[in-house]
Amino acid sequence: MEENGPSVVFLPRRLRASDIPAAFKEIQARREDGPVTVDFGGVEEFDSSALALLSYLQGCTADVRVANIPGMVGHSFKAFLGGTPPAACEVAELDLPTRVLHSFSNRFLAQMRSVSKFVALLGDEIYYTISFFRKRRGVYPGEIWNQLFFMGYKSYSITCLLVFLIGVTVALTSAAQLKLYGADIYLADLIGYGMLRELVPLMVGIILAGKVGAAVAAELATMTVLEEVDALKTMGVVPEKFLMVPRLVAVTLAVPLLVALADFVGIGGGILVARFSLGIVPSAFIREMQTTVGLGDFLIGLEKSLVFGWAVVVGSGYKGLTVGRNAGEVGRATTESVVLSISLIVLIDCIFALILYD
Amino acid sequence: MDIITVRDLTAGYGSFPILKELNFTIPAAKITAVVGTSGCGKSTLLKTLAGLIPPLEGEVFFGPEKVDYYSEASLAALYRGIGVLYQDGALLNNLSLFENVALPVRMRHPDMPETVLREMVHDRLSQVDLIEGAAKSPAELSGGMRKRAALARALVLDPEVVLCDEPSGGLDPITSGHLDELLLSLRKTFQMTFVVVTHELRSIERVADRVLVLNGGGLYLAGGLAEILNSDDEFIRTFFLRKVDHDDA
Repeated sequence: MEENGPSVVFLPRRLRASDIPAAFKEIQARREDGPVTVDFGGVEEFDSSALALLSYLQGCTADVRVANIPGMVGHSFKAFLGGTPPAACEVAELDLPTRVLHSFSNRFLAQMRSVSKFVALLGDEIYYTISFFRKRRGVYPGEIWNQLFFMGYKSYSITCLLVFLIGVTVALTSAAQLKLYGADIYLADLIGYGMLRELVPLMVGIILAGKVGAAVAAELATMTVLEEVDALKTMGVVPEKFLMVPRLVAVTLAVPLLVALADFVGIGGGILVARFSLGIVPSAFIREMQTTVGLGDFLIGLEKSLVFGWAVVVGSGYKGLTVGRNAGEVGRATTESVVLSISLIVLIDCIFALILYD
Repeated sequence: MDIITVRDLTAGYGSFPILKELNFTIPAAKITAVVGTSGCGKSTLLKTLAGLIPPLEGEVFFGPEKVDYYSEASLAALYRGIGVLYQDGALLNNLSLFENVALPVRMRHPDMPETVLREMVHDRLSQVDLIEGAAKSPAELSGGMRKRAALARALVLDPEVVLCDEPSGGLDPITSGHLDELLLSLRKTFQMTFVVVTHELRSIERVADRVLVLNGGGLYLAGGLAEILNSDDEFIRTFFLRKVDHDDA
């Protein structure tokens, strides 16, 4: 590094990251002796670290002056760093209570904005679904069947397996207690009532959240990041209709089939445990179950599952369509969609319980 | 005649302006190149012209009509008049190439007879020399093929203006040259207007009738290609001549 007098530091022709430490050390050493001028005039070859150094020098203190900035360095500085160097290095520190209050109020406002966007999307989807059934436009032909295949056919095996295992587990746990009081036969009522009204709808909702919701959020988020959603808009297509209505219609058709199958399999698990653990024959189990459980219970379970399915699709669609513009956001949106879907399911289940049992 | 007029436009995301107080026009049946350093707001400008980002201030006119970014009818009218070629193509991956090109027709004209639709798509795919790959999925195509397919999709409904975001970015010189020739031929044959955001100086020299240079958050210079290339302005000389040196090296 060349020197000319005690207060001027001439930077080298090549100023890349590897050259910065020596230059910086030199500048700092001169600053201890008084004001210093840093001359960029000789710089011909540079990278972003040189721009960062310039930013620091221009914005940091009054005892450093920057001179002879070459045109290319100046243009690059404007292009990459926005042209305006920071006014000062020191940022005013807020006290702890103010910081906590700021953080809390910002989060609260962000949550409120999210809720209002979600409610707006929900309203839009209701409108678009009704308008689709009236005009049959705005949705890609055949897409409903593709989604139905994915949500129904590709989901039934895992749903049946999990609900069967839940049926077996609940029956085994309950059988041990009922046996103590000689109330073995009431296992049929417990399984029938619990499965049809509560466990099957919840399990179907949770499986939809994990499988369908995650897939919807990931697909829509990827489309948003890759500008496919923008492309749809500029084709005159409404993405919220084109992408969401087929999924909403498909979930409406798939859920009743999944629920019916899951009810059958879940109760089957209970019958199996009753037969081998308590010695209750299947015909007696079904006869007893019919005394407490009827079509109304099946329909209540079906209604709940349908609402859960809609919540999963709208919640996941909301997460997918409101994602940012980088690939990392896809994973975040997918995870958040599952959390949101399960939270909505539990909230809706609670509302149903208040309406039905309170 | 000017097909797009921009008046006092401030554009950006949220409340953060990236471009301030732009005033320019886009002449009809010409190719206008938008150039500038990375991050200067070229894509933001294109998205604003495409109706995707509402301006923070100012007005955009498409033909004689002012674009109202909050009116579905106004945006629908804008979308009827434009086609957009996105940087990475933005083809829908779950549809074949043929179906991607057919999508705007199916959505806008659901009653279009299938035989006519097939002819329309066939014609556009022939123009971009992709008729062989019509049944392929976008994932099976190279970058250049995806861009040509996206151009076919942008053109399928004969828009008045085609907005292109870096059409030759990431392409080899031969493919890039073919794409430029295609733009020139479409402009000549169908009197289409193109707005092309690009970094490629060779491409600008081949196709541009007019150049808009963005820098420092605003419109730095606008003019014909020769005028821009012969400018004495330091930034323009640095931007273009260094790039020429670099391209020649």
